[in-house]
Amino acid sequence: MVINVQNLTKAYGKHQVLKGISTTVAKGEVVAIIGPSGSGKSTFLRCLNLLEVPTSGSIVIGNDEITSPKADIARIRQHIGMVFQHFHLFPHMTVLQNITFAPTTVKGVSLEQANKKAMELLEKVGLKDKANVYPSKLSGGQKQRVAIARSLAMEPDIMLFDEPTSALDPEMVKEVLNVIKDLAQSGMTMLIVTHEMKFAREAADTIYFLDQGQLIEATPPQQFFSKPSSERAARFLEQVL
Amino acid sequence: MNKHRLLYVSMLTLVLLMALFGPVGSIAAQEVTGQAAEQTSEQPKKTLIMGTSPDYPPYESVDAKNSGEIIGLDIDIANYILGELGYELKIQSMDFSGLIAALQSGRVDFVMSGMSATEERKQSVDFSEPYYFARNTIVSKAEFGYETLEDLKGKVVGAQLGSIQEAVANEVEGATEVRKLNKIADLIQEINSNRIDAAIVEDAVAIEMTNTSAGLAMNFLPADEADGGYAIAFPKNSPYVAEFNQVIAQMEENGKLDELMQKWFPEAKEADASRGIIDFSVLEGYVPYILKGIGVTLLFTLVSALLGLILGSILSLFKISSIKPLKWFATAYTSVFRGTPLLVQLTLIYYATPQLTGYDIPALLAAGLAFGLNSAAYLSETIRAGIMAVDKGQQEAAMALGIPYSKMMVSIIFPQALRNILPALVNEVVALIKESSLVSVIGVADLMRRADVVRADTFRSFEVLLLVAAIYYVLVLILTSLARALERRLRRGD
Repeated sequence: MVINVQNLTKAYGKHQVLKGISTTVAKGEVVAIIGPSGSGKSTFLRCLNLLEVPTSGSIVIGNDEITSPKADIARIRQHIGMVFQHFHLFPHMTVLQNITFAPTTVKGVSLEQANKKAMELLEKVGLKDKANVYPSKLSGGQKQRVAIARSLAMEPDIMLFDEPTSALDPEMVKEVLNVIKDLAQSGMTMLIVTHEMKFAREAADTIYFLDQGQLIEATPPQQFFSKPSSERAARFLEQVL
Repeated sequence: MNKHRLLYVSMLTLVLLMALFGPVGSIAAQEVTGQAAEQTSEQPKKTLIMGTSPDYPPYESVDAKNSGEIIGLDIDIANYILGELGYELKIQSMDFSGLIAALQSGRVDFVMSGMSATEERKQSVDFSEPYYFARNTIVSKAEFGYETLEDLKGKVVGAQLGSIQEAVANEVEGATEVRKLNKIADLIQEINSNRIDAAIVEDAVAIEMTNTSAGLAMNFLPADEADGGYAIAFPKNSPYVAEFNQVIAQMEENGKLDELMQKWFPEAKEADASRGIIDFSVLEGYVPYILKGIGVTLLFTLVSALLGLILGSILSLFKISSIKPLKWFATAYTSVFRGTPLLVQLTLIYYATPQLTGYDIPALLAAGLAFGLNSAAYLSETIRAGIMAVDKGQQEAAMALGIPYSKMMVSIIFPQALRNILPALVNEVVALIKESSLVSVIGVADLMRRADVVRADTFRSFEVLLLVAAIYYVLVLILTSLARALERRLRRGD
């Protein structure tokens, strides 16, 4: 077990976004998080690396209780990669610098080594020729692949994807999903918030269905997509499929 | 996380202080105005520091055409007296209005600056016996040629601010108005523009005025020895007064004083009527002296811009910080420094620092501080806006990668914020270059100060003002084209 979440809640003032979520994620497990908008999917994901500070409950990752006040958040985040809907590449750095900045400044990796690793990753995501280009010259799909490479350069144990294809033009969705699928097959522990049902069915080991701040179902995709056990999930699937 | 921020902020502050006092300190050390007497002495001599305001030829002025040293009748007398007594002379240049304060705060040992021993001044300082009694004159357009104070009834009378003639002008019966101006050259302009009818000035100055400006005439007023004459000023109870008096008496006897007067006092001669209102040939010989001011102006602008940028960045961090007292401090700071005139801040820092703390702050350091502190108030707002304009996702991406707050700010957020606000920054630096001319009031030898020196020397204003205006304009043009190049470089990512 890599991630253990107990009774996680998050509220903004009186508005309760997460209403007590408990679950565990095993090492190498790929989880696709789906659900209607406003159900708390992104908030749940962002709690896992404390971009959102939980209101109550506990999250244990590996041996660290990250919700403990004594937790060294920056160190913990180094082990958790995150990919955002809007990429958030650093616009004043080249693709290569985007990828090498964190390893060299945070982990003290030599620039030479970081460059070598970055080129390997760029090759993996099919963008080796874009190493010295600035992000503004890239398409959305290319940007997202660079963002994935940037996260992987820190050699994380867990990867979080927050709607990685939602901001992309349709013809670019596939190139990004293929990269994520490859990553899933390599044994990386991943949680992916997505609206791509086909992708979720093919790539995920487990589907989390969230509604109104609650984890309604956590089941394998075959079972979820053929006969969901909750009525809410069934209604949701009717609408999106 | 707050702990990290606090650490980061205090580190930045330390770096700032080092950056500030490192370079500025050494600049200030170079900025020794005036000149020392002969340095070749077998045994170490005691050095006395003399304060003077070198804008009053022939008593004291800057030899702008040659070495840029301070020369004049007062300097020669001081050199002679100190030579007789076996002291070394060091000259400190400052504004006339700051001389008494310099004596009182012990910055200088004595003052010679064509200063009259008035009753009012005797309250605060001691004087030697007078070494010269100037005679007052009326200078006016030759066609009017006013001869007596009675002639000035119903006229507008001018005099130099703070001079002994100002008091005489105040007592002209029936004068419509007494106008007090800073410089002799200003008085000439005002007479030529018919804004004042006549000016009351002392004889040596009047001769220079009529020598350089065709169409002006001078008439002596009856000598009045009650004003005490020009004397050397000392701090109260100074031990030097008696020995100085002895040498002055000796100089009067052996004719040395007369000899020096002969050397320095101008002879009346026919003014060159062919000179037009604007004639750039009067600047001949002065141009190198003025050009040297460019370095001072640029150095000063650079120091204050850097200080403003560093301090402004820290303040902007305070403003976006979640720690309330830091926020309050930054807001109060901006409010005060933006809400009071820069000239007031400059004068306060320069004159109050030595009296409150005993630290004799050099003029250039005081000016750099005042401008830097002031500029920081404006820049902190600009930088804050620049930071707010950076997409919040940038911060989240950096946090998710485990990049600490300080590194994120320095390498991710600030570069993007700076790019956003570059045009505003350039505006600020352009303003600084031009506002830097204010520092001439505390005697920093920048472009404007040098222009003032040349005005005092030539008794003409337009030519040198036009020259420095052109220099400032070229400086700003160069700066803006550099900024454009920088902006292109920063925008290469787009």
